Amino acid sequence: MSNPVPPPAPATEPQRTETADAGQTSSRTSWWDGRSGLLLSLLMVLFSTYLLIGILTMDVGETDFPGPKFFPGILMIAGYVLAVLLALHYLRSPERPQETSAQQFRTFTDWTAVLWAVGGFLLFALSLERLGWIIAGAMLFWFVARGFGSRRPLFDISFALLFSSAVYLAFTVGLGLNLPSGILGGGF
Amino acid sequence: MDSLNLLAEGFSSALTPMNLLWVLVGCLLGTAVGVLPGLGSSMAVALLLPITFALDPTAAFIMFAGVYFGGMFGDSTMAILMNTPGQASAIASTFEGHKMAKDGRAAQALATAAIGAFIGGMVASVLVVFLAPALADFSANFGPAEFFALALFAFVATSSVVADSAVKGLAALVIGLGIATVGIDPFSGAQRFSFGAPEMFDGISLITVTVAILALGEVFHIASRIRRDPGGQRISSAGRPFLSRAELKEAAPAWARGTAIGLPFGVIPAGGSEIPTFISYDVERRIDRRRKHPKFGKGAIRGLAAPEAAGNATTGTAMGALLALGLPVSATAAIMLAAFQQYGLQPGPLLFDRSPDLVWALLASFFIAMIVLLIINLPFAGLWAKLLLIPAPYLYAGITVFCGLGVYATSGAVFDLLMLLGLGLVGFLMRRHGMPLAPLMIGVVLGPLAETSMRDALLSSNGNYSVFVTGPIPLVLYSLLFIVLAVTLRSKIVNRTRRDV
Repeated sequence: MSNPVPPPAPATEPQRTETADAGQTSSRTSWWDGRSGLLLSLLMVLFSTYLLIGILTMDVGETDFPGPKFFPGILMIAGYVLAVLLALHYLRSPERPQETSAQQFRTFTDWTAVLWAVGGFLLFALSLERLGWIIAGAMLFWFVARGFGSRRPLFDISFALLFSSAVYLAFTVGLGLNLPSGILGGGF
Repeated sequence: MDSLNLLAEGFSSALTPMNLLWVLVGCLLGTAVGVLPGLGSSMAVALLLPITFALDPTAAFIMFAGVYFGGMFGDSTMAILMNTPGQASAIASTFEGHKMAKDGRAAQALATAAIGAFIGGMVASVLVVFLAPALADFSANFGPAEFFALALFAFVATSSVVADSAVKGLAALVIGLGIATVGIDPFSGAQRFSFGAPEMFDGISLITVTVAILALGEVFHIASRIRRDPGGQRISSAGRPFLSRAELKEAAPAWARGTAIGLPFGVIPAGGSEIPTFISYDVERRIDRRRKHPKFGKGAIRGLAAPEAAGNATTGTAMGALLALGLPVSATAAIMLAAFQQYGLQPGPLLFDRSPDLVWALLASFFIAMIVLLIINLPFAGLWAKLLLIPAPYLYAGITVFCGLGVYATSGAVFDLLMLLGLGLVGFLMRRHGMPLAPLMIGVVLGPLAETSMRDALLSSNGNYSVFVTGPIPLVLYSLLFIVLAVTLRSKIVNRTRRDV
């Protein structure tokens, strides 16, 4: 079982990211290396813009001074300022996470694994009401297990169906929650 | 004496078979997620939040308390055996604790940790029983300006003191506060940021945000590294799980000092038990250096005993601050505050007057949880390590299914599932780039209080900003905040110039 937390000491100390692999940097020095944190800056810009558009289009009647736009307005400005500060931070000092495995990869994040999990969840969300809990839930389970490196797809299908059926029974019959039965509902 | 009578009543309602069962379930769950790498008590509470609405409030909170304390116990087990702390508060325990385990004293290390956590938690609970009612009485005089100062204190302390980078912490806070403003404005009735989507008229559900940020985002983050990071090496915990008289004598002063250091941090909203565990570790190391035969670096029992006691002492008094002031200091406490709000209860001065049964049963359950946790952790710590035999793909697949289940069961809408996925990706991005999550959670939970009290204060003063700094309580809070910031800044500079481990 691998461990998601990096080995202990560095977790609170900033040096974790700076101790870059001095030897190999020459082989892969793209400008973006260590600067993917600019996505945080983008996130702040998008969020502040969302607030800005919301404030501009907000339908407010007569209100006293600190109206409904006052507090979000402060947040919006703070968001833009922080976006700039974050961008400056990543431009000046890129944060390269230390590769803990023996191999070198092109990206620090294992995007294949993340896409299996995210894609599985998206399919689950979109098909839940049509296919029903048991099938959609089993599909989600199978996709995530696959992304986490399970190597037994056929066994996983049966295990996933068993798991989602057990959850369905426990929560609809046991706790009285309302989960969709979907295409299995009509026939049986 | 009044407190004792009320506590006795609390015990009588907490000791019913059903409530005892919930304490036990909470403690078992909390220890289990604490033991499993990467999972902390905040994720367990996040996943349980939707399901607890099938329970009555007392049972739900008793279970949460068990999970909260249990997570602290379980974390130290893995910190010692595998050198993998589940959350930041267990990092200080890895230094000497893992060395003890490598030295063949794993069982004694686990016992030291369990007893330390027990002592810290017990002392804190006693203190909460006697001080929380007084604190609640004191805060009964709070007006909008005081509440705003309190909220601001929590925001600034958690986002700048705890986080490595104040910019990242504040950015997380702004996102949290922004999410909290979505929906109908309680003052004017105006629709804010919903863009005509009926699913957002009531705002973004706290459950969706909690599960997305603390559970689903974590799953994505683990997925992003699990096939690449080398696995940890587990050390067997065989041996005598009890301490000899000499070891007890060695550890006792460290437990006491750790507890004393941990207690105040639960009330100062400086963000959970991470800071006190490091401070107490550091204090022990300094004391050790002056001894004739320094033991640090070779598995010093004191270096483990103190942070464990400090961590749980902070957790205990943090619950007191949550109940008496409505002030959460960590992500887990923020979720519990959210749970109170979902039940229509507002922690703070009024809670002790309006629902004394709930408060005192909950306080009594702290003591029961401590004893249950000592029993299930002291002799059986080795058994808990067997949880690691669950294959990782199935563990995380199961957690993901529970994320979907919890959100769909409470909202019944596909829209919330998509929102969950989107916010889960935000949570993943934040984790990947070291943006702290606690400020976001505290922002979402305390955001409405901060905005309401800010606007109330400004409305009553006709827009005069000096209203925020009139009166003794806000002034005291702001100067306290200033001191906390100054101390943090100083220690950050000192750490940068003199780093020796």
